[in-house]
Amino acid sequence: MAILLNTLLMIVVALLITGVINRTRAVMAGRKGLPFFQHIYNVRLLLCKDSVYSHTTTILFRVAPAVYLAAAVVAILMIPVADLYPIISFEGDIICLAYTLALARVAIILAAMDTGSSFEGMGAAREALYGALIEPALLMGFATLAMFCGYTSLADIFEHEQSFDLHYTIVMFLVAYLFVTITFVESGRVPVDDPRTHLELTMIHEVMCLDYCGMDLAMIQIAGWLKTACFSMIAANAIAATCCFHWWFAVPLAILLTGLSVGFVESTQARNKLSRNTTFVVTISALAALIFFIGYLLQLNINI
Amino acid sequence: MFYLYLLIALAILAAVIFSAPLRLKVWMALGAVGIIAIASVIPAIGVLLGGRDVMIVAMQSPLFGAEMLAIDPLSAFMLIIISIAGIATTLYSRGYLEHYLNKKSSAHISLHYFSLVVMVLSMMMVVVSSGGFSFLLAWELMTIASFLLILFDAQRAEVMRAALAYLVMMHIGFILLVAGFATSHAICGSANFADLPLCFAQGKTLLIFVLFLLGFGMKAGLFPMHVWLPEAHPAAPSHVSAIMSGVMIKTGVYGVMRVLMNITASADLYAVGIIILLVGIVTGLWGVILAAIQNDVKRILAYSSIENIGVIFIGMGIATLGQAAGNSMVATLALCGTLMHIFNHSLFKSLLFFGAGNLYSQMHTTLLDRFGGVAKSMPVTAVLFLIATVAICALPPLNGFVGEFLIYLGIFNSVRDGVSTLAAAGALLSLALIGGIVVLAFSKLYSVVFLGSPRDHHVAEATEVDGCRIAAMVIPVAGILFIGIVPQFAVGITERVAMQFTLAAKPVINSIAGSTLVSISLVALTLIILTTLLYLWKQRKQRNRVVEQGPTWGCGFTSPNIRMQYTGESFAEGLESIATSLTQNTVEGRAVGKSEIFPSAHNYNIRHKDKVDRLFSAWWMEMLRQINKRIMRLRTGKINHYILFALVFLVAIFLLSILNII
Repeated sequence: MAILLNTLLMIVVALLITGVINRTRAVMAGRKGLPFFQHIYNVRLLLCKDSVYSHTTTILFRVAPAVYLAAAVVAILMIPVADLYPIISFEGDIICLAYTLALARVAIILAAMDTGSSFEGMGAAREALYGALIEPALLMGFATLAMFCGYTSLADIFEHEQSFDLHYTIVMFLVAYLFVTITFVESGRVPVDDPRTHLELTMIHEVMCLDYCGMDLAMIQIAGWLKTACFSMIAANAIAATCCFHWWFAVPLAILLTGLSVGFVESTQARNKLSRNTTFVVTISALAALIFFIGYLLQLNINI
Repeated sequence: MFYLYLLIALAILAAVIFSAPLRLKVWMALGAVGIIAIASVIPAIGVLLGGRDVMIVAMQSPLFGAEMLAIDPLSAFMLIIISIAGIATTLYSRGYLEHYLNKKSSAHISLHYFSLVVMVLSMMMVVVSSGGFSFLLAWELMTIASFLLILFDAQRAEVMRAALAYLVMMHIGFILLVAGFATSHAICGSANFADLPLCFAQGKTLLIFVLFLLGFGMKAGLFPMHVWLPEAHPAAPSHVSAIMSGVMIKTGVYGVMRVLMNITASADLYAVGIIILLVGIVTGLWGVILAAIQNDVKRILAYSSIENIGVIFIGMGIATLGQAAGNSMVATLALCGTLMHIFNHSLFKSLLFFGAGNLYSQMHTTLLDRFGGVAKSMPVTAVLFLIATVAICALPPLNGFVGEFLIYLGIFNSVRDGVSTLAAAGALLSLALIGGIVVLAFSKLYSVVFLGSPRDHHVAEATEVDGCRIAAMVIPVAGILFIGIVPQFAVGITERVAMQFTLAAKPVINSIAGSTLVSISLVALTLIILTTLLYLWKQRKQRNRVVEQGPTWGCGFTSPNIRMQYTGESFAEGLESIATSLTQNTVEGRAVGKSEIFPSAHNYNIRHKDKVDRLFSAWWMEMLRQINKRIMRLRTGKINHYILFALVFLVAIFLLSILNII
């Protein structure tokens, strides 16, 4: 029962985050904004549409959205929601999670290159580079959790609320910050990428799906929501573990944490110049290594 | 006596292959490889399934005393890898060499097949030898056989150069190995690997280990001794690259493992572990970054082999550190991962080289930016190559993931248990970066070659290769899928080998990672089933709708053409801009200038050469040239000068002998 609730809550988080982002942006810009569930209506509409495929593409182009979505679904099945338990949980599932998301990335990169379009090639090349450079950040984040909590499975790491401990709180907040930043990169948001831009030359994630339409595009968008939900749930779990470790606290936290921060950054900051993106992404990885080191020092102190 | 039999066997083999009709030579070679493989795999399986070590022959060597050939679990493991790759390679060579049959002389073809069989045989001898003379003999035999194999297209100048560079570097390595064996013989009176603990007890561990590491590292392609690899692979025929990259470089790893398993003192283990880990990290990162910015299919694959050797050494280093700290869980996991990765790499790398061979034989080029859209003309190759690509990127649900997963798990356990935490964190950071860039390198390789539109009419007109080659490629694919989806069995086998290192009494992998392995196969199956279901669901829905075909969306630009596609060079441009300090770029021709409004035809060719390579060649060449120039000054061409030299020489000898110096 708890397992089903866990999955259900993950889906709820995935569906709501985009709405919160849109609403935050609208409020900050002084607009009324779209209806809260507009993005879901849009995807429902896409699911009912006809399709056009390019002559250049092969079967890979048609299978890729399925792989992308399947990988994202498997990924959310591994994420615990605070005190609940996920469907897939085993020792080392953090590694499996990172590589399942990498599988999703490869599928979409290959699909983009399959069209033979130079614009989609640009997007694919950028996604491949940023994906490569963000990988260390993700795994170092997990390593910090593993070192500090003594487990290599997400469900075990976030198993129970700790009694208040300053070191633990510091590390958990740092890790949460790290995962929110990773969300910016992985889900293609400002300052790395701007989903609203209308110039293909500067897009990353959106430009890779230029040739998709109808159901394929819907599948890609759903997978994108699920991916975002994964990272924001981990961040929320890290914070919840320090104060109030219950699903009814972690779920709104996950939605608001990512929703508000992404919305806020998107309304206040311009996107990076593309050549600065590499530095930005590498900085996140360096930050992850630093957080690991801080965690290491704090942990040494506890043992003494 | 053994050597006499060996000689007779080789002579018979040569006679059979050289006398066979041209088209039957390959089957003779395949028969020979098959017999050797079966003869070695049967006892090997017995050993791996828990039997006792098998003793083949004991003998007295002329130099180092008593030696023997015997199969223990590590040898058995390597024997299986060699057998699989040997059979696949020989089978593949039939189709690949088909169109050379009319061009080359019969003796040439015979020599090639003879070398191929000798190479397989000598690699097997390397892994069963107990050390000393027989090991060095087999090692040298392997080097010469592979040299002859690389030299197949000897009339091309670059092939000749690469083969000679290979030969020279291998012999430098060989000298270091001789030094290693001689040192251990001098210290403890035996050159067998099994007697190394005696030498290590004398406190010269690091010296002996570093000698062996350098000697074996030359073969394995450790940084900075890797420079022969990216030259030799593009020069060699593809099936030769497959066996060299898939198996032969692993004999170097095997050698290091042999030495490593005899080190027992934990202080030594710690130092050795740090050395191995550092070497692995540098090799892996260097290999993968260079792989990502190359623009030649075989060069990318060669650099990726270097990277995989790096990953193997990272795993080995973590295992050694775990062993040094007495944490058998870390040691077992990392070692199983390392061995698993050795096996996996031999499968997907031979598959990738076979794929590269298909491309070369149908389109006569390996330059990345000539291809494009090959998936349409060679669909079977495209699918097989895609499987290998996903496997080498270590993505679930294929085998590459299983090996790297175990290494990662070892690292995470090491971090968690506080076993040299910072070293493990360094390993994690670099392994993650390597994993990320591998994805970039191989998505570039696959997409530029197989996807998009053809950039060249040769490519558009290419046809699929013959069934024999496809059959050879299916052998590794079967292994890739089997290990990926049901990892338990293969991991169990590797643990049997790992127990030689950890000295554990009974297998523990099932108790520490049994449920994890089951979960991995469940995740793999879930991924496959879910993808299939989603795809079928989409197809079903689309049946009632309009599904049209049209041109690729040009973003408002109305006449996009094929040459505007992203190329390999442009795909890796972002990484190149970070990694400029690692390469030396040579540019031929001229790029289109910014002020040219109507650009004329341009020829622009850029090559990213390894900086280490340049450093090596430039340094050696310059030094030799300088010495040569000085010596040439003595060659004046005047007879009176030469008589003077002779006189000086005689006087010098006279003086030196009077002074008792010589």
